[in-house]
Amino acid sequence: MKKRYFEDFQLNETITMGPRHVTRDEIIAFATRYDPQPFHLDDAAGRATPFGGLVASGWHTIAMCMRMMVDGWIGQSASMGSPGIDQLRWLKPVRPDDDLTLTMIVRTIVPSKSKPDRGIVKSDYELKNALGEVVMTFSGMGLYGRRPS
Amino acid sequence: MKYFEDVEIGAVLETATHTMDREEILGFAQAFDPQYFHTDEDAAKTSIYGGLIASGWHTAACVMRLLVDQFKGKTASVGSPGFDDLRWLKPVRPGDKIYARSVCIEKTPSRSKPNLGTVRMRTDVFNQKDELVMHMTSIVLYLRRPVKSTGG
Repeated sequence: MKKRYFEDFQLNETITMGPRHVTRDEIIAFATRYDPQPFHLDDAAGRATPFGGLVASGWHTIAMCMRMMVDGWIGQSASMGSPGIDQLRWLKPVRPDDDLTLTMIVRTIVPSKSKPDRGIVKSDYELKNALGEVVMTFSGMGLYGRRPS
Repeated sequence: MKYFEDVEIGAVLETATHTMDREEILGFAQAFDPQYFHTDEDAAKTSIYGGLIASGWHTAACVMRLLVDQFKGKTASVGSPGFDDLRWLKPVRPGDKIYARSVCIEKTPSRSKPNLGTVRMRTDVFNQKDELVMHMTSIVLYLRRPVKSTGG
């Protein structure tokens, strides 16, 4: 894959990533360290809630998305990280043995005013499960370097 | 037990401090955010960050743990529909000691579910120099205090 620079993004460009399989063991491992609420650790506790069973921490779902994004294009780009995220919504639970597919659409491309060697690309993201249900959406920014002259 | 009605707008709650561990930074990044400035200490020196930095998602996950530890068992919160305005403002490096301050900025009873209410929490994350490294505005669902039924 050719290295992607700031100039290589196009408005409304779409990238689809996945599917990524989610296992029970990794749900429990992530939640044990980062989000030890009972419905992320244990089936019985999950059944006692409206989730109806063990569900992944929303932060784990995001982390899995990030991996998909790095594998999808970020790892082959002049990425300098991200200033942040807007309007993230966890819409449906993510469960053991789900298969997740992520779609990204480029919405704005803005050169940096203060640093001419970089710019920010803002994109909308939609994560779906194997049933085609949207489980998570967000708007994310990426900081990318310009192609060296 | 803190229910929706007990949440005070403006009251600031502070978490304990977490020291960002180099091995854990590398391990999280290998699994979830394998960009070179998160996984390769030598290569990271050539980045705009000048050295290894934690994935922003790792910092956020550590903050979630601090919040869960602070509130676990004490609040009737039942999950979160999401968050807005998350910004990573300063790099977080191995050895940095981070802590969070959360404040309720708004609360709204649910119109559709009378046993629930929504609380908006602004969380600011600081390092050991008290520099603001991250912030976000979370939406948290709370149970409303159970109504005692009157005898018949």
